[in-house]
Order: sequence, then C-alpha cells, then structure tokens
Amino acid sequence: MKVTVKHWHAVAQWRWDTGGTEPDRGGDDEEDVCGICRAAYEGCCPSCKMPGDDCPLIWGQCSHVFHMHCLLKWIGTPASKQQCPMDRRPWVTAER
Amino acid sequence: MTAALRSQMAAKWNDGFTRLNRTEPGITGLISFSQAWNVATDYLHPRDIADPTFGKKTTDMAVVKAAFDTINRSRRLPVMLETFLGAGINIWLNTRSASSFLAHFLYDLQESDDTAVINSLIFRLVEWFRAWAPIDELGPTIRSAYTLTFQTQLFSILRPTFVRGFKALCTSTLVPVARQTPEMWEAFEALGLTDRYEGIIASVGYERIEEYVHETCTGKWDTPCLESLRSWMTMQIVPWMLPMYAKGAVNTDEARGMLQNVGSRFDFHMNKTLCDLRTSEIFDIIIDFPDSNGALQDLKECLQRVDQRAALVQSLRKSNRKRLLHPGADTKLILQQYVATIKCLRIVDPPGVLLFKVADPIRRYLRERPDTIRSIVANLVGDDDSGDSLVDENEPIQPLQALETEDYNDPNWDPEPIDAGPDFRTNKPSDVISTLVSIYDSKDLFVKELQVLLAQRLLAITDDNFEKVEKERRNIEILKIRFGEAALQVCEVMLRDMTDSKRIDGHVQSKRPSIVHPTIISRNFWPSLESSDIVMPGQFQALQTEYAKEFSTFKPDKRLRWLPHLGTVHLELQLEDRTIEADVPPLEAAFIELFSQKNIWTMNELVSGVGSVDRTAALKALITWIDLGVLKEDEENVFRLLEVAEETAPAARTAPTANVVEEPAVSAAQQQQADQMRLYWKFIEGMLTNLGSLPLDRIQTMLRFAPGYDKTPEQLAGFMEAARREGLVVGRDGMWRLNR
Repeated sequence: MKVTVKHWHAVAQWRWDTGGTEPDRGGDDEEDVCGICRAAYEGCCPSCKMPGDDCPLIWGQCSHVFHMHCLLKWIGTPASKQQCPMDRRPWVTAER
Repeated sequence: MTAALRSQMAAKWNDGFTRLNRTEPGITGLISFSQAWNVATDYLHPRDIADPTFGKKTTDMAVVKAAFDTINRSRRLPVMLETFLGAGINIWLNTRSASSFLAHFLYDLQESDDTAVINSLIFRLVEWFRAWAPIDELGPTIRSAYTLTFQTQLFSILRPTFVRGFKALCTSTLVPVARQTPEMWEAFEALGLTDRYEGIIASVGYERIEEYVHETCTGKWDTPCLESLRSWMTMQIVPWMLPMYAKGAVNTDEARGMLQNVGSRFDFHMNKTLCDLRTSEIFDIIIDFPDSNGALQDLKECLQRVDQRAALVQSLRKSNRKRLLHPGADTKLILQQYVATIKCLRIVDPPGVLLFKVADPIRRYLRERPDTIRSIVANLVGDDDSGDSLVDENEPIQPLQALETEDYNDPNWDPEPIDAGPDFRTNKPSDVISTLVSIYDSKDLFVKELQVLLAQRLLAITDDNFEKVEKERRNIEILKIRFGEAALQVCEVMLRDMTDSKRIDGHVQSKRPSIVHPTIISRNFWPSLESSDIVMPGQFQALQTEYAKEFSTFKPDKRLRWLPHLGTVHLELQLEDRTIEADVPPLEAAFIELFSQKNIWTMNELVSGVGSVDRTAALKALITWIDLGVLKEDEENVFRLLEVAEETAPAARTAPTANVVEEPAVSAAQQQQADQMRLYWKFIEGMLTNLGSLPLDRIQTMLRFAPGYDKTPEQLAGFMEAARREGLVVGRDGMWRLNR
C-alpha cells in the first residue's frame, strides 16, 4: 500500500526561540516569563494587545530575554543606569 | 254583662252601623252596601277563562264602579280586597283548572326542555293575570296589591324545575335573535318574572357570551378578538338586553343610560371570559409568538379590565413547570421559550412585573443546566443548525446592560406596580441578550465559553473555506459591541493568528512548496487545547520537520511546536485493487502510515508506533479504517491491511471519500477553570466550614492569602457557580455556604 498525503491541515504553536530550551524537547510546558512584566514571552507586554511580531522580545548578551517594550521602558528610566534588570550588567543587545 | 260593657258594645255597634249605613235613612244604606259588596265580589271573583261565559259578563261597568265607590265610602275596601286577594286567587290558582294546567306543563318540562311549552305556559298565566286584574279606575293601590298577591301566589306554586325551563326559554330567545318577541318580555314583566329571575336572565347572557367567546376565539391568536367581540355584543347581546333592561326607554340615549350599568357588567364578563381563555392558552400562545400577537394584545387589554394577573402568572408558571422545565426539554428549546416569554410578557405588561414573576423559575432552572452558557453562546455566534436565532436581527445591537438601581433623580420615575414583589427589580426593557447573560452573575463565563467555541470553529477552518474567518470576524465585531472590546481582546488575537497563518503559509509555500498548511496559534491566547503525545510516524514527521525549518528561516526568532493531534489530513491510499481517498484526523493518518510498512499490526505495536496514545482513542481511529474497509481485525487486537477488498467488507456502506473529521477537542471553558480552581477548593471549603456563610468578596479577599491565587472575582464567581451545580455549596442572596 502506498499512502500519499494530498493535503495536511496541521495545527502548531509558535514559540520564541529564547535560546535556552529547545522547543521540541518534551515537557517544557512551564512558561517562560519576561523578567520585568512577569507575563509569558508568548503573551504580550502590558502595553500591547497583540503578541508575536507586534510585541517582540529583546535578547541581551547577558543571556537574559525580555519583552522589548518592557526593557526599553526600563532603560528609559534614570534608575536603570542602562543595566540589565536581572544581573545589573550594562545592557548590550545581542546580535542575532 | 256589666253596664259598661253593654254601653261599649252599643257604641261599637252604632259606630259600625253608621259606617255601613252612612247617612242614609233607616237601613237603606246598609242594603245598598250589601248590594254593592255582592256586585264587587262577583266582579272580582276569578273565573276560569276557559269558561265560555267568561268575558261575556253583562256586568255594567258603571254599576261595578258605583259599587266599589260605595264600599270605598264605607271604608270597607281594604277588607274587601283582602278577602278577594287572599282567598280568591289562592283558591283559583290551586283549583282544578290552574293547577292541573300547571301540573301538566311542569310534568312535561321534566321530560323535555321544550321552550314552546314553557312559552305557552307563561302566556297562559299572563292571560289569567290580565283577565282577573281589577279595572284601572280602582286606582294604583288596588292594582299593585293585586299584582303583588298574584305574584306571591304564583311563585309559591311554581316548582324548581320551572327555573330550568325558564332559562331554556330565555336562551332560546337569544340564539337566533329573530325569535325574540317583545310580547314575551312584556309577559315576563307582567308576571314579575324579570325581577325575580334577573340573575337567571343575566346568566343566560353570560353563558351565551362564554359560549361565543370559546367558539370564536379559541386557538385564534393572530388577530385581536376583542374588537370583533365588542361589535358582536353590540349586534347580538344589546338588542336582546333592550326589552329587559331598558324597558320604557323612549329614545336611544335613554336606553343607553339605562343599559350602562348592566352593559358594563356584560362587557366585564366578556373580558373575563376572554382573559380566562387566553390565560389557559398562554403557554401555546408564547410558543406561537410572533404569530400570536393578536392574542397578546387582547390579553393586555383584558388584564387592564379584569384583575387576573395573579392567575396568569400561576397558570404560566404551572405550564412552564409541566411542559418546559424538565430534563426532557432541550436547553436550546428552553432558551427559545424563555426569550419568547420575555417578548410576549413585555407586550402584555410593559413594567415587567409579570415577566419577573414568571421568569424567576426559568432562570433558576437554566442556571442549573450545565450547557446553558454554551447554548446561549452558540446561538450568539450563529452556531445553531436550526438557524432559529434567539435574537431578532432587527433588534439593535447594544452593550450589555447591568441591572440598574433606581434612579431617584429621574423626573419620569414611576412607583413600582402594585403587585410587584419585594425583590422585584425595575429593569428597564433591556435587550434579550442582556437578559440572558444576566442569568449568571458574571459575563466572564460567557466570554470564556465564547473563546472555546471560537477556537473550535477556527481550527476547523482549512484553506478551502478560509472565507469563514471573515464571518467569524464579523461575529466577533458584533459581540464586541455587546461584551466590550477588552473582554474579547483574546478573540481578536485568535482571529489574527488565522490570517497570520495564512500569510506565513503563503510565504513558506512560495519558498518550498509543501502539502502541510498549518494554523499557527499564539498559545497564551487560545483556550487550553487537550495535549497529546502523538509522534507522527514516517513521512508525516518528515513533512513537519521540513516545514518547521522553513518557518524558522522566515521568522528567525520563532520556532514551531506541533500539536499533532489537531487538524485534518487528506489521504490517498493506493491499494492493489482500489484507491481510497479520505479526510481523517491525524491519529488515523498516523496509523495507516504504519500499515504502509507492514500489513499486520497488534494494538500494542500500533500504540507505541505513534508515541503514546489513549487506547480508546486508538481503537476509535482504527475503527474508522475498518469502516472504510481498509483494515480488518482478524483476532482481538490484531489488525490486518486489506490489500484486496473483501467481499463482505462493509466498504459499500461508506462512500470512498469519507469525512470523519470532528470538532477539534477543546475542553470547555468551565472545565478548564474548574481544574484550575480545584486547588483552591480546599481553602474555600475550610473557610466556609469555619465561618458559615460568606459573601463572594470576603472569599476573594481571603483567597488572596493563598499562594499563587490570581483569579478575578468574576472567575471566582464562575467557580462558585460550578461548585453549586455540583451540589457542594448553596448560594443565596450573594452569600455562599456549604451544602449539607
């Protein structure tokens, strides 16, 4: 018998590639959250309504990842001293 | 005998003598009096009118008159009348002629209600009455005394059965109006029957009205009946009433004045009859709405006249309980009837008191049904197969209205209607959806259910029918007006995922054509989809990896995570003797893929071949293929591919291209929430045990101390509602306590 797939309407979720866990590895259902707003990466920052490309992530060289809007807002405050809120190292956006 | 007594006697005698003798000389006065007395008694003495000599009396009227005059002058007239009236008539009515006559007819009457018989009886009586009546010249006193005595004597000998016959006679005058004769009414009047039997005559009218109303209005709901009933009354009943109630009226105005009182009584009776009829039919009237608008208008008008509101509520509640609120009725049906009830009772009673009283049990019942929300939401998004929408298309879409507390500054404020109960809330006529949503304490439940339903529908959309997304979008736009933009934000994301998927797919296909067309969803914005550990075997795995790779090239920061149990696969199976095409869920596709490696598999091999899967689900998937005649279960749990179709294979009963796609499995919103809340149930149970009953906000405040609790009061309300349905708690007046 030969099985030919003519058309496959599949369903998938998208995940941010946060570098840490590989999306295909099983059992990663625990949500990764933005360190600033505590909302899921795949959710959106408090000022956004649409997730995904409208509310992207920003990757730091220090390996920390935040919602871009959250981080920019943080960097914009004088108290931040341009540091990563997690490790207080100067924030440098990672090249990707 | 003493001298005193003697003189007293003499005085009396003299007195009497003088009175009778008057001032005539000697005893001539006495003689003339005695002659006069004879003439008078002879004249007055009743005779059998059947006697041929009757009426041919030679008595000279002048003589009679002179005689009466004489008697009157002697002041003996009262005595005379007493003798005549007391003895004469009594004797006569009871003697052979009269009583045998009466007895004859009364006997007949018991056999039959022949109105002709009773009619002639009455005319005969009138004949007697007239024949014996003293002449008018004697003055009204004698006449009325005569009439009274005659009537008294007559009524004393009439038997109870007469009433029945009399009623029949009255009825006979009513049905074909032409038969009615003014003489008869005069006869009734003369005999005093009208006064004595007024109740009976009226009841004849009442019964006729009832009969007519039932005859013409039962089951006739499309047009208002009241108007035609009124004109019928004017045409048929009023002419009948005229001789009785408006006797002696010289012109129509006078007649109208006389009829006003009794006429309004008849009108009231008509209203009441119609009202009772409609009350007994109300449940079916509501079913027929809007084709029963006329009946509702009637009912409204009648209720203003007749105080039957309580009866209407009783009747409707009773039939609702009997015909609607039982396990056999579909939730959708109950909702439809409820909506129709709302609409109908708003017509009948705009302030909504009736509705409030009737709706309460329905709402309470609906709250206990687990699928009420789902039904309402399904209807909102037009998911009904029947196409019978609860909402009117022409009803303006408006935001949900909360029940308002009374506005004391409202210059048009009206007090609550008199029969409003203590818990009656004046709700402004709000739209149907607001009313339905207000069955529950929070609209949150509806939004959740809406998401689940939307998810199911969106996931079922493939490239072939992608225009449905637009339809869903329109739906959501409408619902946004109702539920508010913020509440449906999530739905917005879901819809955008659909269009994004389409766009991404277009791009990926242009780079590297694939037969995979995924819907890519944002996981935080979709209801939790049942997870699955299926690993797609063989070429499916390859297709997935290939597509995911291409996707990551297009969106470098993103990865795809497949939900392999969702979606549909269109397959073509090339077997030795036939080709089968089928649309199947992924698990079915995975199994058949395995069969392309070898022809015989055991259940356990199959299950481990696709990762891990529930055995019942696996069996279901395999049965799909067995039904299609592709597989055969040779012995228990061993399946063989049928390269050559078997004669007895049941393939014939299924078309070669079968559609076995089902709704994507999305757990219902309440279920999800309940799962999340189960953790907190212990806390709630504890606090309710210790503190008795608590309001919702207290529970919420206390739960905030629990670790990780992040639910809104609305969600908590939803959970408590679910717990109440399971019989764990009892909610009353906003207080919750454990159900023990």
